[in-house]
Amino acid sequence: MNPELVSFKGTREGLTITLGEGEWRELMNELAAQLSRPQAQTFFRGARVLLETGNRAIDVLQLEELIAQLSQSGMTLSSVLGEQRTMEAFAQVRATIRAPAPLVPAQPAAPLAAPEIPVDGAQAMLLHRTVRSGQRYHYAGTIVVIGDVNPGAEVVADGDVVVWGKLRGVVHAGASGNDNAMVGALILAPTQLRIGRYIARAPDDRGQRHAPAEIARVRDGQIVVEPWYG
Amino acid sequence: MPGQVITITSGKGGVGKTTATANIGVALARRGQRVACLDADIGLRNLDVVMGLENRIVYDLVDVVEGRARLRQALIKDKRLSELHLLPAAQTRLKSAVNEEQMKKLCDDLKKEFDFVLVDSPAGIESGFKNSIAPADQVIVIVTPEVSSVRDADRVVGLVEAYEKPTPKLIINRLRPTMVKRGEMLDTADVLEILAIDLIGIVPEDERIITSTNKGQPVALEDHSEAGAAFQRIAQRLMGVEVPFQVFEEAPGLLDRFARFLRG
Repeated sequence: MNPELVSFKGTREGLTITLGEGEWRELMNELAAQLSRPQAQTFFRGARVLLETGNRAIDVLQLEELIAQLSQSGMTLSSVLGEQRTMEAFAQVRATIRAPAPLVPAQPAAPLAAPEIPVDGAQAMLLHRTVRSGQRYHYAGTIVVIGDVNPGAEVVADGDVVVWGKLRGVVHAGASGNDNAMVGALILAPTQLRIGRYIARAPDDRGQRHAPAEIARVRDGQIVVEPWYG
Repeated sequence: MPGQVITITSGKGGVGKTTATANIGVALARRGQRVACLDADIGLRNLDVVMGLENRIVYDLVDVVEGRARLRQALIKDKRLSELHLLPAAQTRLKSAVNEEQMKKLCDDLKKEFDFVLVDSPAGIESGFKNSIAPADQVIVIVTPEVSSVRDADRVVGLVEAYEKPTPKLIINRLRPTMVKRGEMLDTADVLEILAIDLIGIVPEDERIITSTNKGQPVALEDHSEAGAAFQRIAQRLMGVEVPFQVFEEAPGLLDRFARFLRG
């Protein structure tokens, strides 16, 4: 056992696992060793894990390995605290752990109790890249993309989604049920656009629109797109 | 100086990975580079057929990995170009016969002897694809000007980036200038707009490719084929030579020429 490499701490919210310095392989072996102790088997089962990764950049493949390791002991990874790249990787992997809130087609819905959503100054994730087909980002706050969101990609945020580029993939703002969320893009041409519990798709006779920046939000029970004036 | 491993991949099948691998290999070897082409499509091998070397296979990639043959024994020397070699895939085995570590080791060994190791990746994004990407120093993505091919290429570019490899280079294959002109086919700009990666070559549609692949005689061996010339330019760019990109125009038909004659 080497607590320098992997340390465990119980908190009110769940279990915090902190990764120390060292080779990734070493860390994974240490984690496996700690989790395979007989008392750990019963103690950790069902725990929700907060992972602290420090300055280390962890990629998607490594996170998937870690999640698989945890789930063998009946644990789920609920959040990650660390470096920007690690957080982005988690947002990508997270989509495979938890599905977003169920959707209904656009129709007036009973007002919900306003969920707690990130507003000004709250957490946002910045993706400075092209989000490509097959990539899926899911984040609990607002997502800002500097770059394009290509067809076949999905961006899901509990808050707003802003794309400084072409938005052509599937986008879901207010994914936890917030109908007040908005989607904005320099070129707003998503395959499908979802806000809260509403859903809209691109018209089938897709003409080449080159409108300036546009913004989509829910008005009177349907998704409305309008030009984005400051 | 060790050589470099270049993996040729696409996601979608049938866009010309194998033909491109064979032709780039030929073009590089014609320029005096030592080249090893490696067929990573285990179970569905093709590269040997396209290169016309099928009847010379004794050992294959899996034999080398499992220690039944030495690398030297399995490498087939091309019948036309002395610098060109092929390491064929096994036909009777499955993709799971090798893993990423073994592919890396194999390519590390090849890099010591060759200037270029070209890996012909299988279609798809499963284990065979991962095995092909793992050893790559550089990745080339092939795309045809079709929406489905571009979509798959986009997926593959994302996966290559997730593997922390350098951003891939792009070949647009089977471009038909007249169809582009009529607005019936995606043009180069449309493809680049989505993929946003650097272009390393445009290969026009060329009927000669079909006969040449059937005969096992890559077009890059000759000088008068348009597609062959395009592969020559790609080889030069891989060697660090700057070659301007060609603007393809189909030769004017008889009617066009007649009309031009009338107009003076």
